[in-house]
Amino acid sequence: MKRFINDLKKYKNYILYATWAELKTEVINSYLGWLWMILEPLAFMFIYMFIGTVVFRYKVEYFPIFVFIGLSAWNFFNKMVVASVKLVQMNRDTVTKVYLPKFVLLLVKMGVNGFKMLVSFLLVFIFMIFYKVPITWNVLYFIPILITVILFTFGVCTIVMHLGVFAEDLVNLVNIFLRMLFYMTGVFYDISSRIHNAVYRTLLLDLNPMANFIYNMRNVLLYKSAPVGMWTLLWFFIGLFLCILGIRTIYKYENTYVKVMK
Amino acid sequence: MKEKEIAITVNDLHVYYRDMKRFSLKKNGLKGKGSGKIFKAVKGVSFEVPKGQILGICGKNGSGKSTLLRAISGIFSPDHGSINLHGNSISLLSIGVGFQKQLTGYENIYLSGMLLGYTKEEIDSKVKDIIEFSELGEFINRPVRSYSSGMYSKLAFSITAILETDIILIDEVLSVGDIHFKEKSYNKMKELISDSNRTVVIVSHSSKTIEELCDKVIWLHEGLIKEEGNPKKIMAKYEEFMREEG
Repeated sequence: MKRFINDLKKYKNYILYATWAELKTEVINSYLGWLWMILEPLAFMFIYMFIGTVVFRYKVEYFPIFVFIGLSAWNFFNKMVVASVKLVQMNRDTVTKVYLPKFVLLLVKMGVNGFKMLVSFLLVFIFMIFYKVPITWNVLYFIPILITVILFTFGVCTIVMHLGVFAEDLVNLVNIFLRMLFYMTGVFYDISSRIHNAVYRTLLLDLNPMANFIYNMRNVLLYKSAPVGMWTLLWFFIGLFLCILGIRTIYKYENTYVKVMK
Repeated sequence: MKEKEIAITVNDLHVYYRDMKRFSLKKNGLKGKGSGKIFKAVKGVSFEVPKGQILGICGKNGSGKSTLLRAISGIFSPDHGSINLHGNSISLLSIGVGFQKQLTGYENIYLSGMLLGYTKEEIDSKVKDIIEFSELGEFINRPVRSYSSGMYSKLAFSITAILETDIILIDEVLSVGDIHFKEKSYNKMKELISDSNRTVVIVSHSSKTIEELCDKVIWLHEGLIKEEGNPKKIMAKYEEFMREEG
């Protein structure tokens, strides 16, 4: 852990600069530039609004914001996991020529996607003002939940990145798993009111971390409630544990990554 | 006896490549770590480099030269044995580390420099020299993707040559750019090398380079040291050996 903190200090500048560089590169590459950060989640929001309101006739208060909160958090998690599978390989030019702690690569990606998520949540707040959502002090719970999301995502990604170096077809597995998780996370429907079976409800809402985070984000932002249940807190510690485990594993094996990639 | 200070100690170094490569879940299931055969690239090399020495490493293709260099620079971990750098900073002089092709040359200097562990201030103070040395002129403010391959390597060379470290490892990069720049980089190399505080390890096939620049040479053959000592003597033997082999 001490080594982690030292490395973090040493590469802090690089992480920030590389994050900025990657964001800038993406903006240069596309015609609409930074507008994509807003357009992408907005477009998906309209799709899921169509499915939710026209196809399934959900009656959820503030449905557009409801969907948008889900999408902001889910997109972050989804993009991070997908990116981390191939992360070391994508950076082979760097990795084969200079030593750098491999989690630095992950942190750069976290910076890029984290920034996008923040933009996305900024839109959520603008929507909330627009829809005149009543706000209580419980909104402040949003911050610890967001931190939990970030920590948990980082923990999962360290391990996915490590395995991704060795397993060729992890991509396929991860894609299937993420699609499954997407539908189980209730990005465009409300688990607590749609699922009546108590067992399934606990399974989806408490034991599926992303669903739990998103559910509670909606509770504190839209429905004036405090976070429900202790599971978010528990997932925070599981996330922390995954981070420590992942970083340890990466430190132990990172010097063999280059040998495996040919 | 200050000169006897040691900069690099390599002790009984072994580096293996396991032929596991990447395994497929379909082929191997979840457990099999692909117990492929082991290829021994470096098998038991020991040497010491005193501070300020210029060490040449020669050997035919596949003799483990580059592997050795990468192990010293910390990219590979040794499978057995140890490498001690005695707290010196080190860089492997190589082409285009971490370039983002969409960004300008100027921005890439920072990106590359920070990757090598320099602070923004340190790069600020060197950036002018780098641009001047790279001879890119106006192009420094254009995206790297618009560079010719020569310009690309010029920039890359300039970054690593001017951001100096205590130990420099060079893997045959003396042939960069056109004849004019080649001479210039060769001279810069000599200048860098002649600094008596700097330790240099050069991997090269060229007898001329090694004889001209190095104080000592190590001849690697199939992962082991075949001979070491005076560059002139060794290189003569090495050339003779190579001719017989070929």
